[in-house]
Amino acid sequence: MKRIRISRCAQQLLAQPSPRRPLCPCATVLQRNITPHNHRIQARFQTTAAIQNNEDLEIEIEEPSASEAIESTSRSSAPQRRRRMRLENLPSPHPSAASHSAKLSALRARLSLHQRFPLQTLARTLVHPSADPDPAFNNASLSILGANLLGYYTTEYLMCNYPRLPMSVIFAAQYAYVGPKALATVASEWGIEAAAEPGGEVDPGLLQFKRIKSGDDVPPALRRQAPWKWNVTTTHKIVATDEFGSNNAPPGPHSLSATAVPMEEAAQSFVRALIGALHLHLGSPLVKRFFRDHFLSRHLDISTLFDFRTPTRDLSRLCAREGFEAPVARLISETGRLSRHPVFVVGVYSGKDKLGEGAGSSLNEARVRAAAAALKAWYLYRPIEVTVPSSMEGELDTSKWKPNMVDCGEVIV
Amino acid sequence: MSTCKPLARICIRNRQPSFLPLPQRRHESTTRRHKKLLNLPAAPSYTPDRSQPTLIFNPPSSAPSVYHTPLKFLPKDDRRRQLYAAFQTAATQTAHRTASPAVAAPGTPLSAPSFLPPRPSAGLPPPVRIPYDKKYHLTDADIVEIQRLRREDPERWTRVRLAEKFGCSQFFVGLVAKNEGKAERVESEHERSRARWGVRRRTAREDRGRRRELWGRDA
Repeated sequence: MKRIRISRCAQQLLAQPSPRRPLCPCATVLQRNITPHNHRIQARFQTTAAIQNNEDLEIEIEEPSASEAIESTSRSSAPQRRRRMRLENLPSPHPSAASHSAKLSALRARLSLHQRFPLQTLARTLVHPSADPDPAFNNASLSILGANLLGYYTTEYLMCNYPRLPMSVIFAAQYAYVGPKALATVASEWGIEAAAEPGGEVDPGLLQFKRIKSGDDVPPALRRQAPWKWNVTTTHKIVATDEFGSNNAPPGPHSLSATAVPMEEAAQSFVRALIGALHLHLGSPLVKRFFRDHFLSRHLDISTLFDFRTPTRDLSRLCAREGFEAPVARLISETGRLSRHPVFVVGVYSGKDKLGEGAGSSLNEARVRAAAAALKAWYLYRPIEVTVPSSMEGELDTSKWKPNMVDCGEVIV
Repeated sequence: MSTCKPLARICIRNRQPSFLPLPQRRHESTTRRHKKLLNLPAAPSYTPDRSQPTLIFNPPSSAPSVYHTPLKFLPKDDRRRQLYAAFQTAATQTAHRTASPAVAAPGTPLSAPSFLPPRPSAGLPPPVRIPYDKKYHLTDADIVEIQRLRREDPERWTRVRLAEKFGCSQFFVGLVAKNEGKAERVESEHERSRARWGVRRRTAREDRGRRRELWGRDA
């Protein structure tokens, strides 16, 4: 059977290659190592592997004036206006390298982003402040914007769809949807790889951040800290700290410029910065669709986030507050009462209505579980029609708006 | 017939003594009777009344999902209230219309409650604990009396005895007449007996506490 030459078969679809691409630092290395037209050899290259000294590995930059201090090494009194500078001296890849990076183009295509979204911005979202302290080249500002957008969209989704959720459950659900661990998982699912060491010669499609050396401890800003006082109230958590109800406010992205950070921190800053950049370049409708596809589509069973300490007492308080009859636990069915493994099925009734049902190996266990189920059924109420506030942004016609339900709050015993 | 034994064992007799003459009841002593006994009618969803292929939905019995809000918890203006009410009336009518099979007629062994699904009825299942109403019947003089008794002789007038005497809960006695010295003594006594526990008993108690915490967490 005749082999199809892969290099030929799709060539008409590809863009015409530019004659010389001196800015791609890896091109010479790749061409040196690959046998031409032999596609069976699958060579893997580490982008951060040592690249030999070439004339191609230099870039022409403008000589910085005395006021701006991008590079300390380039501040020599060179007589010429433009001079060639080594890529290794840059803290992060030059923006012009973004348009030649295969990884960035692949990432943009993988996320189904519009062609209008520039690769240079995508490359900038991948630069953590620990790699490049210059705020004009790292993703700190974009990640602040993106964090606020993510928090806003998640909160409005949760509060409009589950209007009765207790605050602690909202915090936990926020953390599960857009918390640091969730964002790092999302980034790894998108196929984001990290550079071993940030630098100007690295492929801009890699996540750039200063890694923690093996054996070193996490920087103190990212470590869990003792709360500023021990009775931190829910109001303080809502007002003063982040959207996940932490005891302390998290470190700002700009403050991490000098420290080495774990991969999770860098990955979450990338995802947030990408959201912020999408908002700036493509507008909020597209960001909302992106958020729905990539974050709300992740399954979260909110009923597992509850932790009741005294469910029976909470339920009787709830019934008294809402004017229902006092809850009564009733034994629906049982088996093996005198055996080693009995099962009791107990329902909690208020008047003639069953509120919840639970099974347990003792009457007490079944009763408590039934009360917890009834409380969950109260808190997990979901209205049928929901219009989130962000869906009416910039619309003049407000006839589609339906006011959302606002509950009077959780049960406080 | 070893298979007869468990069935015979789960046959529940009437708990209440009755003065009516006992009806004659035969035991399932043969295989044939046993088979007939186990020959329960199929679930209604398996016997469609139409000839066209239909969807058979017969999930195993399980606790209702917590995402299905009970009727009582729905707000006043929710559309599901009418839907639930309509379903409730339709289901009750269907259940009352369906005749019970002849094999399960009263007097046969199948009429024993353990063999049949519960019939729809207006009666609710029995309560786990006896329901009570709060009475709020104690006056200030009673409370002073409780405090005096508890102060003078805490060994004699424990919380249990005071609650029995005054017809209130033990919690209320502890609320109005707290005796710190007695509580400390009892606690130290418990601590001493707990110190004698071995490894197995201690771990078993700790595990029980840990399982107890999981009750409210649905795990």
